[in-house]
Amino acid sequence: MVWLRIDPITRKRFERFRRIKRGYYSFLILLAAMVLSVFAPYLAESRALIVWHQGLPYFPTFEYYTMDTFAQDPPPAWGMGDLETEYLRLQREWRLEGFLYDRELGEMGSSPDALSALDAKYPNHGSFVVMPAIPWDPYQSDFWSNEILNEVDLLLEAGDSEGAEHLARRDGLEELADVIYSGEVRALIADPGRSPTGDLKGLARTGAMPSIAGLGVVPPNAPGWNRRHYLGTDSQGRDVASRLLYGFRISIFFALFLTIFSQVVGTVIGSVQGYVGGRFDIVSQRVLEVLLSIPFLYVVIIMAALFQPSFWLLLGIMALFQWIGITFFMRTEMYREKTREYCLAARSYGASHLRIIFRHLLPNALTPLVTFTPFAVVAAIFSLTALDYLGYGLPAPTPSWGELIDQALQIENRDKLWLTFAPFGALTITLVLVVFIGESVREAFDPKQYAKYE
Amino acid sequence: MTQNASGGGSSPESTAGGGAGSALQGGDALLQVRGLRMHYPVRGGVLGGRIGSIRAVDGVSFSLRKGETLGLVGESGCGKSTLARALTRLETPTAGRVLFEGKDIASASGAELFRLRREIQMIFQDPYSSLNPRMTVGEIIREPLAVHRLGTKEEQLGKVRDLLETVGLGADMVGRYPHEFSGGQRQRIGVARALALDPKLVIADEPVSALDVSVQSQVLNLMVRLQRERGLTYVFITHDLSVVEHVSDTVAIMYLGRIVEQGPVDQIFRSPAHPYTRALLEAIPVPDPRQRKDEAPVKGETPSPVSPPPGCPFHPRCHHAIAECRSTVPELEVMETSGADPAHAHTAACIRRHEI
Repeated sequence: MVWLRIDPITRKRFERFRRIKRGYYSFLILLAAMVLSVFAPYLAESRALIVWHQGLPYFPTFEYYTMDTFAQDPPPAWGMGDLETEYLRLQREWRLEGFLYDRELGEMGSSPDALSALDAKYPNHGSFVVMPAIPWDPYQSDFWSNEILNEVDLLLEAGDSEGAEHLARRDGLEELADVIYSGEVRALIADPGRSPTGDLKGLARTGAMPSIAGLGVVPPNAPGWNRRHYLGTDSQGRDVASRLLYGFRISIFFALFLTIFSQVVGTVIGSVQGYVGGRFDIVSQRVLEVLLSIPFLYVVIIMAALFQPSFWLLLGIMALFQWIGITFFMRTEMYREKTREYCLAARSYGASHLRIIFRHLLPNALTPLVTFTPFAVVAAIFSLTALDYLGYGLPAPTPSWGELIDQALQIENRDKLWLTFAPFGALTITLVLVVFIGESVREAFDPKQYAKYE
Repeated sequence: MTQNASGGGSSPESTAGGGAGSALQGGDALLQVRGLRMHYPVRGGVLGGRIGSIRAVDGVSFSLRKGETLGLVGESGCGKSTLARALTRLETPTAGRVLFEGKDIASASGAELFRLRREIQMIFQDPYSSLNPRMTVGEIIREPLAVHRLGTKEEQLGKVRDLLETVGLGADMVGRYPHEFSGGQRQRIGVARALALDPKLVIADEPVSALDVSVQSQVLNLMVRLQRERGLTYVFITHDLSVVEHVSDTVAIMYLGRIVEQGPVDQIFRSPAHPYTRALLEAIPVPDPRQRKDEAPVKGETPSPVSPPPGCPFHPRCHHAIAECRSTVPELEVMETSGADPAHAHTAACIRRHEI
């Protein structure tokens, strides 16, 4: 088949595109981002990639493991252990066991009796959990920052300073854990200059212990490495980085589906218009103009009022309008190409219409479509983002850039700059990449280049 | 060459042409064109109604015998290329008949037309746009064979190689793309494509006018050699009279959609009858400044084919025009039946053909 093999014009254009470094690298970056977003469940997910427990590997990405599987304690309000394991907590609990094992080993010395006693006390000290790079799924709320000091306070009040130390150390509050372990914490809390309220929350608020100064705040929480929210959390405590990634995944595939669909339909209809020409062309062109004059946003608003907007519904509505622009390109291209002599030659030896369209005309007529594609993709991403921002997009919990922008622009979030920078930064980078690609493609396909000797 | 516009129906060729194909053996008419008209509507007005028509080809008749070459001459816009497209049925004629071995191409359709297309092939003017730039030379030449499902793929590829050798390109060129060739080589590829189906009739629409003069003769000689070897019949369209003199057996001069003079090539060149033919022949540059030009050059521009002048279409530009030329449409009339061969009669469409 002729269009599967790369003909020299296409190869030359591709070579030229590769030589325009800016566009080529932008293309590679965007392609990598798209491929990565396909593997988002391995990059941003609250389930662990691998759990190594008592000599056996577990792969929670593919299977559901209850808390009982790893002997994890259920949350206080739940009596049973048949919930799904909380892997991030599990990872920290097992790290804590490892830490305690090492500390007590250092205190007791490594006699065989001591070793077996420690092994019995800390059965999981050799187990570990490998979490994805972003250990949060996009729907998961994290109120840890708001709650952790209260929990430690409760334990301290109950006199369980060992439990309090373990809890603080489990969640990476080393300084707090150390002062609890050494017993200095009571003196700290009792000092009204350091803690006016006499508890840890007060200690955090005065900033006397810098490592816990940022705690006790309701979401959105600022970016932090302790809870591994690299871009902070949104107002529902969901991880921004994870939502960005999944939002990109949804919008890029939305854009790809939309572009492919509209280009296929637009190409077919535009080609037929241009190839058949005459009265059919004139009539169908008028029909398309009527269709084009329907305001897109109103249709979306009406549809959003009648139905729950879903990925496919929005795709359908947008596809209804997107392909029309493509037909204009294809129609004129076909008009031009069909009068070229190679097409007449094909007709003179009796080639069928389909053969002429697919073997002769389309390979020569698709050029403007290719140069148009990067911009069509970015336009689709932006229209989905805009719809989400306006609230006519995908329903509420779906991760999306538009919804993040909406949160960022809420009056109470104006000082939460990470909420602004993350989606706008992502949009800007995507836009710049696609514009670079589009520019380079256009330049590589520029027919004027052929007029020069190289 | 016979003429059918005026009483030519009684000549032996046209009766044979209208009859069965078996009667056409041995030098009889392969192609007969009768009263061919190609009118394009001119639309206008609020409702886009038909307000007139462009008479690109307006009643052309001729016939052509197997193995001969008809040179079709005329200036730009006289309807030569439209005639070629009507002959190959790239466009459906408005009226008239194109009989190929007795079968009417103008009204054929479906499978019959598909079979006829095998017999009539075309060589195009522009070697740069007549080859699909995204197909290899091998694919370009093989495609007619594939369309008509002639032989297996291996046989077709073998035939492509033979054709490439025949037109003077190496068989190893099959995998190359058109842009790797020069204009003359590309035109050879066009010739090879036209010959792929072993046609009987080849319509060449200005096959060398886009080429360098040095390359023109090579392609012309190739076409003449192929005609000799394969017994091809050519309709050779050109505006270059020296080319016509070189390749043609008979010549037809076209002006504004009509044939104004036709006849054997030596007679036309030796004793042109129509004023337009004379003007064309006078326009051939002669590299001798002392040679006298005895015919005044043609004045004015070619009239619009939308509203051709009444009477003889050439009269506004003709030095010999008289009042009658304005009202009488001249038909092709026999000048002199040179010899006993009515097929090679010299005819001209001019009421003063014997006077001037």
